[in-house]
Amino acid sequence: MDWGGWAVFGLVATTLLTAVLMLVQLLGRTRLDLPLMLGTILVVDPDRARVAGFAMHLAVGQVFAGFYAAGFASVGQAGWWRGAVFGLAHAVVALTVLVPLLPGLHPRMASERAGPDSTASLEPPGLLASNYGVATPLVTIVAHLGYGAVLGLALHPT
Amino acid sequence: MTETPIPIGDYGLIGDTRAAALVSPSGSIDWCCLPRFDSPPVFGRLVGGDEAGSFAVGPAQPAALRTRRYLEETASLETTWSVEGGELSLVDSMIGEVSGRLLPATVLVRRLTSRGRPVRVAAWIAPRFGYGRTRPSRVGHRSGALVVEHRDLAMAVATNGSVALEVDRSIEFEVAPERPMTVVVSASHRAPLVLVPPEVALAEAERDEHGWRRWAEGLVAAPGHREVVVRSLITLQLLTYSPSGAPVAAPTTSLPEHIGGSRNWDYRYAWPRDASIGIAAFLGAGKEREAKAFLAWLLHASRLARPRLPALFTLDGRPGPRERDLAGWPGYAGSRPVRAGNGASDQHQLDGYGWVLDAAWLLTDAGHRLDGETWRAMRGFADRVASTWHLRDAGIWERRDEPRHHVHSKLMAWLALDRAALIAAHRGGRAARCAPRWLAARDRLADDLSRNGYDEGVGAYTAAYGAHDFDAAVLLLPVIGIEPRGSTRAAGTVDLIRARLGAGGPLLYRYLGDDGLPGREGAFLPCSFWLVQALAHLGRRDEANELFDELLALAGPLGLYAEEMDPVTHQHLGNFPQALTHAALLQAALALDGTVDRLETAQEEKAS
Repeated sequence: MDWGGWAVFGLVATTLLTAVLMLVQLLGRTRLDLPLMLGTILVVDPDRARVAGFAMHLAVGQVFAGFYAAGFASVGQAGWWRGAVFGLAHAVVALTVLVPLLPGLHPRMASERAGPDSTASLEPPGLLASNYGVATPLVTIVAHLGYGAVLGLALHPT
Repeated sequence: MTETPIPIGDYGLIGDTRAAALVSPSGSIDWCCLPRFDSPPVFGRLVGGDEAGSFAVGPAQPAALRTRRYLEETASLETTWSVEGGELSLVDSMIGEVSGRLLPATVLVRRLTSRGRPVRVAAWIAPRFGYGRTRPSRVGHRSGALVVEHRDLAMAVATNGSVALEVDRSIEFEVAPERPMTVVVSASHRAPLVLVPPEVALAEAERDEHGWRRWAEGLVAAPGHREVVVRSLITLQLLTYSPSGAPVAAPTTSLPEHIGGSRNWDYRYAWPRDASIGIAAFLGAGKEREAKAFLAWLLHASRLARPRLPALFTLDGRPGPRERDLAGWPGYAGSRPVRAGNGASDQHQLDGYGWVLDAAWLLTDAGHRLDGETWRAMRGFADRVASTWHLRDAGIWERRDEPRHHVHSKLMAWLALDRAALIAAHRGGRAARCAPRWLAARDRLADDLSRNGYDEGVGAYTAAYGAHDFDAAVLLLPVIGIEPRGSTRAAGTVDLIRARLGAGGPLLYRYLGDDGLPGREGAFLPCSFWLVQALAHLGRRDEANELFDELLALAGPLGLYAEEMDPVTHQHLGNFPQALTHAALLQAALALDGTVDRLETAQEEKAS
């Protein structure tokens, strides 16, 4: 497995993924704010939460980059389009499995079952995170295609 | 639908802060949208006719309605009927807190108790699905419960006896004094159905009631009007969609503003204005958590459109859905069309910014620091107002005629700039540098409004620049602080609006004349409460108190208000119950209570 590439390009790809999501958010196409969502697990203040959340996202992205590197090594090939295919699978898993789990894990995220005593302040993501804007599933997929393509280009398959 | 429908104001509201139901005096649930406020109704008889379904439970023998009331400081509704030799009570509630327990998102509990002798009870359940009023695709009995399914929604109806209810069939059974009966409806959406045993539902309902009482204990405001204040706050809380914090304007669609008319709108969405008024109301009542939650929702919902503030959002913060007429729906008392979606979502309404920035200032003034993101949003709103206040807009009433220079919109734009400057000064540092540009814009606006909005001939502000009509929303003039205390302009405007728009007694029309829509409407209840507030601010407390008491006497039998009222019959009109009316009632009560005076005095002291 390409440990050197993993160490460097895992960070690069995650930063790119975060940047794409934040850019699209600033353009007003989605309310999905991964650094905020992750950071508010630890702190309440949104500005501080984003900083903490960005660091957490880098760490999570690094873990996933390890799976990509292991995947390339096991098939013996890499390349941008293989990476993009991995990215597509990653996005689908994120939207259909990981994001729906968040309300159960996140102390400040409401669930669809929240009642009047709920002190949670983050809205639940809903189907395919579309509560954060109808473009959110598409944006997530595009960002992960980019993440996978970067890793596919940069990592050696051995 | 019968020839003479049940008066709108006679319905009782129950809810779980995700969905709500309206219960008639005969014990029939004639409106309930599941799984959320804005879903199609499962029981929609209120505006959809018998074909839209209902769920009735009540005496099967001749009976007279004896009392209806909410159990003290709870959201549980009790209906009691007298029958020969005894009485029957029905307590309806929905379970708000289901987190942390194996319960579905919707649990509706109907508890039947007889006294004096056994009473025969009739139950009729007819659920329908979608705006097509479709019958369930699958019906059966499992584990002793009636199970009804249609696409992604499943419902189970269980009782604690051997009684098995049937769809679209009246079932009679006996409730003896020693054997109360509990009927439980549980519903799941895109999730496995959880069958809730009646004894569990009973315990959950009692726990929920305890929760509401504990919540009401913390209320500090308006001790002189505690009962109405508590009922209004519980109603506002019931109309808040807990998963996102969105305040729903009303749980219904298309209850008419005039019986037989076509002014029938879908209010199952969230207006930033209502959230902002809710912030003031909850803050005044000592409920800071709820007030902050409304601001958090506003920030989240407005994220995609900022710095523009859309007129309304869905419960998830999306743009309001396109308005459409529901084919074949007969409407309440023949009032057609019945609509789903709301066309006001595309309008430019300047007033919303004023409400939002005023609410943010109230929170700031109460000692809550706005975080960076909130401040940036408020700054964006203020800059937007500073650059657009001179434009015509649709106004607070979402009129569908030509945009005008609405005086009320200008007042609220002034409020937005004034409060933004106050927040900036309060934050200090770099934020304070924004204040001068907003104050300059505010003063230009005040000058423009004074020259173009005030009619020297009649001694009052009119509805719009150069217009000769009046707008009851301008009653907020003495409240916002644009005119100095003791201003003859403010007093003259309040008096003239009351004279010109008076609808008899304490009632007011919001405006008169053509608004681009066919038909007419009733008196607009929030305006009457704004009049109370205005009179209190003008120092005319006796007059305000008298008016407030008259308005309280016009409440529905359960203390609930619709949006409008027929000035002659005093029937409630429009969607019901209406959050804006209850929020305006709360603000009037706070103004009479002196809470507002104390806040203003503190503000003036700070400013000096």
